[in-house]
Amino acid sequence: MPFRVLDPTNERRGAGGQPAARPPSLQGKTIGFISNGKEGTKGYFAQLERLLREELGVAHFVRRTKSNYSAPADARIINEIPKWEAVVAGVGD
Amino acid sequence: MQTKKAALTSETYEVDDFATAQEFYHGNGWTDGLPVVPPTEAAVEACLEWALMPPDQLIGIEPVRAQPITAEKLAINAVMAGCLPMHFPVVVAAWQAMMKEEFLLHGVTSSTGGCAILAIINGPVRLEIGANPAFNALANSDRATAVIGRSLRLGLINLLEVRPGGIDRTTLGHPGKFSYCLAEDEEDTGWQPLSAVRGIPEGVSAVTVMAAMAPRQIMNEWTTDPREILETFAAEMRANQRHYSIYGGNYAIVIPKQLREPIERAGWTKHNIADFLYERARVSRAEWADVGKGSIVRDRGDRIHAALESPDHLLVVAAGGPAGGFGAVIPPWMGSKTKAVTAAIGACVDCEPPKG
Repeated sequence: MPFRVLDPTNERRGAGGQPAARPPSLQGKTIGFISNGKEGTKGYFAQLERLLREELGVAHFVRRTKSNYSAPADARIINEIPKWEAVVAGVGD
Repeated sequence: MQTKKAALTSETYEVDDFATAQEFYHGNGWTDGLPVVPPTEAAVEACLEWALMPPDQLIGIEPVRAQPITAEKLAINAVMAGCLPMHFPVVVAAWQAMMKEEFLLHGVTSSTGGCAILAIINGPVRLEIGANPAFNALANSDRATAVIGRSLRLGLINLLEVRPGGIDRTTLGHPGKFSYCLAEDEEDTGWQPLSAVRGIPEGVSAVTVMAAMAPRQIMNEWTTDPREILETFAAEMRANQRHYSIYGGNYAIVIPKQLREPIERAGWTKHNIADFLYERARVSRAEWADVGKGSIVRDRGDRIHAALESPDHLLVVAAGGPAGGFGAVIPPWMGSKTKAVTAAIGACVDCEPPKG
């Protein structure tokens, strides 16, 4: 016999946020790198910086490292983000 | 006088029968792979009524992703896990504890490290729900702890999207991620309950949550000397520091009756045990070189790392079957990034007293 069951998921979403507008080009732009602080991010960001500089003309890079790799970025880093045109948050192990 | 019940607001779906319900929930990614109890309105309302909670009661907000967790949604997941209404207040209290900032729920549930959430139940509620703290305490010891532990995982999956490959980036995980819950054997020990050691008044039911790796079992049947028994626990903690993570955090140790009795008889309290293990469970960084991790010793080989940042970081739990010289060390997920949290069940122990 048919019966009704309930949805177990969080239908009420958190406040969250909207993604920022995408820049049409990275030429001459400033990009922030937020590392989770793990060893593997060093090589990753070094290679990414080279690629972005050589192939897409990125002008400046700002490197920041979270104080706790398992927690969200520190407020001091979040407050800097508006000064950058794009951000790469790297999770390395 | 009858009062009108607040209505549930979750989306409902019609299913043809029990088997169809299983496929519907599995197909949507709403299970842990095991069959679930179909959450009907009547079953969910029974949980809420038992806990005297309206459906929209806000149990907490997950601090990182700002996800509100309501009583209704917790009750749906509890029913799916097999919980009876009397189990539900324990589930609610565990979630309240998990959402405290210091627990770092997002890190705990997303990390490659793969810990599970261990829930330890204290107080009279253990007897009401029929939790069995003796035989097989860390596994399928009884219905209550099995389904309460499972409901925490189902809630993480469905309310915070902690699915393997999604938010959950775990490399290996361990079987405690299905269910990891035990009750302390308060009737068969003279020790203070864990919850009382952690500041909850005795006689008040409570649950303690900890981001925990799999239990590491030890054995020492050949002594009644408390120091010798605890040296075995200390050695296992040191082994974990060498092989897994060197950093100090909340460790739990589970001491069954055969090892517990000589320790108690000698007059040792849980505080004495914690003081002893705080001193004995520590390794030098140079020891990493013995287990293949020499490259990260660097010039800090002389540095000493304690498994416990302080004695009160140890959770001592009296539980387990009556015979067998076994015990268990349950290591933390990753040092002290997360802290164990204890919450009272159905009571507010730090509320303002009524005025006037």
